[in-house]
Amino acid sequence: MIKLTRIDDRLVHGQVAFTWTPALGVNCLLIANDKVAKDEFLKMALGLAKPAGTKLLIKSLADAAAFLNDEKSRNLKILLIINSVKDAYALVNEVSEIKSVNFGGIRLKDGAKLISKAVAIDDEDITLVRELLDKGIELELRQVPTDTKQMVGSLI
Amino acid sequence: MSLSYILIALIAMFGHSEDFLGTTLLSRPLVLGPLVGLVLGDPEQGVIIGATLELIFMGNIKVGAAIPPDVITGGVLGTAFAIISGKGPAIALAIAVPVSILAEMLISSLFVFRAVINKKFNQYADEGDFNGIQRLHILSGIIRPILMGIIILLALQLGATVMKDFLALIPAWVQTGLQVAGNMLPALGFALLMNLMFNKTVAPYFFLGFMLAAYLKLPVIAIGGLGIIIALIVTQVTPKTDDDDDDDFSESKEEAKPLKKLNNKDIRNVFLRSMALEANFNFETWQNTGYAFSIIPVLKRLYTTKEAMAAALKRHLQLFNTSPYGSTLILGITAAMEEQNSNDPGFDAESISTVKLGLMGPLAGVFDSLFWGTFKVIAAGVGTSLAIKGNIMGPVLFLLIFNVPHLVLRYNLTFIGYRAGTKFLQNLAKNNVMDRLTKGASILGLMVVGAMPATLMSIRTPISIGSDKSEITIQSVLDQVVPAIIPLGLTFLVYYFVKNGAKTTHLLLGLLALGFIGSMIHLFA
Repeated sequence: MIKLTRIDDRLVHGQVAFTWTPALGVNCLLIANDKVAKDEFLKMALGLAKPAGTKLLIKSLADAAAFLNDEKSRNLKILLIINSVKDAYALVNEVSEIKSVNFGGIRLKDGAKLISKAVAIDDEDITLVRELLDKGIELELRQVPTDTKQMVGSLI
Repeated sequence: MSLSYILIALIAMFGHSEDFLGTTLLSRPLVLGPLVGLVLGDPEQGVIIGATLELIFMGNIKVGAAIPPDVITGGVLGTAFAIISGKGPAIALAIAVPVSILAEMLISSLFVFRAVINKKFNQYADEGDFNGIQRLHILSGIIRPILMGIIILLALQLGATVMKDFLALIPAWVQTGLQVAGNMLPALGFALLMNLMFNKTVAPYFFLGFMLAAYLKLPVIAIGGLGIIIALIVTQVTPKTDDDDDDDFSESKEEAKPLKKLNNKDIRNVFLRSMALEANFNFETWQNTGYAFSIIPVLKRLYTTKEAMAAALKRHLQLFNTSPYGSTLILGITAAMEEQNSNDPGFDAESISTVKLGLMGPLAGVFDSLFWGTFKVIAAGVGTSLAIKGNIMGPVLFLLIFNVPHLVLRYNLTFIGYRAGTKFLQNLAKNNVMDRLTKGASILGLMVVGAMPATLMSIRTPISIGSDKSEITIQSVLDQVVPAIIPLGLTFLVYYFVKNGAKTTHLLLGLLALGFIGSMIHLFA
């Protein structure tokens, strides 16, 4: 069961390990990212940040989608983490269980604009955001669980 | 303009300079309250008010880029007005809460300004002008303390008399109500902490902490000590593991035979400068200028041409954000990589950025949890439990319990990072050390949180049953069977609401109302 799908380009860090994981009561962090899945160094580093009592899975987007669609993953309480709107879009299309996406942190890059303190998106992202909204997916923005939900649709 | 107002403004400036001073908790009400009390000639009252405010703002922490209410401005003004008017902790709280929320908005606007000067930093980097970067980092960081100092001075100068007159009008029953309400507010802080730490697997440790405090009346410091022992037994961490690590990484740098070498002083400078890591924190690139500021001693030693310096400066002005407490590990690792880069023309400088960006998130997870979830909790638990009784050792222990481990670790991590590089981390990962460390830390933290409702909240009920002769107060019955059940029940009630997504401000107002009304109808005292 997916408890939260979060876009966060730092993947596992303080906010994720220390606020979201306990607040959601999840027992599995699933990082879906093609680059990280192949990078032993990053996998090692992320392993260090794994909160006690949780399982950390790092999979490519395709493998993550297959895993989430598999019956066996139903028993886990999963926090799904991706690092871009593009990857979120890809997973929403593959995994029907994802009905809501949390925008946690996307760093500013050229051509992008900050829509809140910690989230910056570019034109390409906005197109994807509109498509996701049309599909009826909830897109909300919170850094930590105690923040008030802001709707991404009203910020672009 | 009175001298004491100027001194209080200086105290607030000191608090707002925390980002220059290593994020060492100097800005907390428990530290600034006693200082304000000292200036106003009533240090004991300052200690008590500081502890009261600390309890309320306890769950209010700085993780990642989330900015909490400004407890510095709120705390300093609340304490000052409460002491000047002679009204005590309840009034301090009534002032501190709204002021801290207002001041936070002001500070948020400062962050917008910082985004603008980011361009200037990049210009300096292009020119290889490290002096310019250092200057601007300090300048931008110093604006906040100066601005807030002026605001506080004005608030005191213009507001003190008005406030004093106004507060004198407050009738006694309002003040009693506020006091009871104030005693209830810590439940919110505890609930917010529990939201981060409490779950079914570790729940027994919470109740163990509670029972040790409620039934055996053990002081928080003893419960912390027991917590360490239990955490060690449960996770079976033996101090030996350190030695094993040393053997593995000592040979790592030998074969390179570098031409340019950093010396211990350079590395020590990196540690010292890392104290100012967050001075120019902004929401576009976060701690980037602090990172560049910290690593400049290394770059100065290694790069002599303008081009090489410019490239290195640009590298370190890239976005960066991690827990300040573990930042020196990454700084040390990159110092070693810069050294290699300066000696080996074939070295891929891109890999420096890759390592930085790869490590900053995960290490923030580790160190934020360790320091905010464990050391801060124990420090605050021990510190407030003493300070609430007016003991000056409260704030002193608060700072020591947090900062002795913090500074020792932060200093040593700089050298470990430099000498062992990423091998140190690979060893940690291999030995599963982190898993045991986080588990042990959460046990310890939770035991102390469990002790808090019993030790730090004084909510009682004056209800009595029976006639005059055989009157029994409910509280005396409770005390014999389940002492501190009211604070515990209240904490769990708030925790339930937090868990179900209630807004913090709503809960704050709800608790205030509950305490106020409860006091008026003589349900609580």
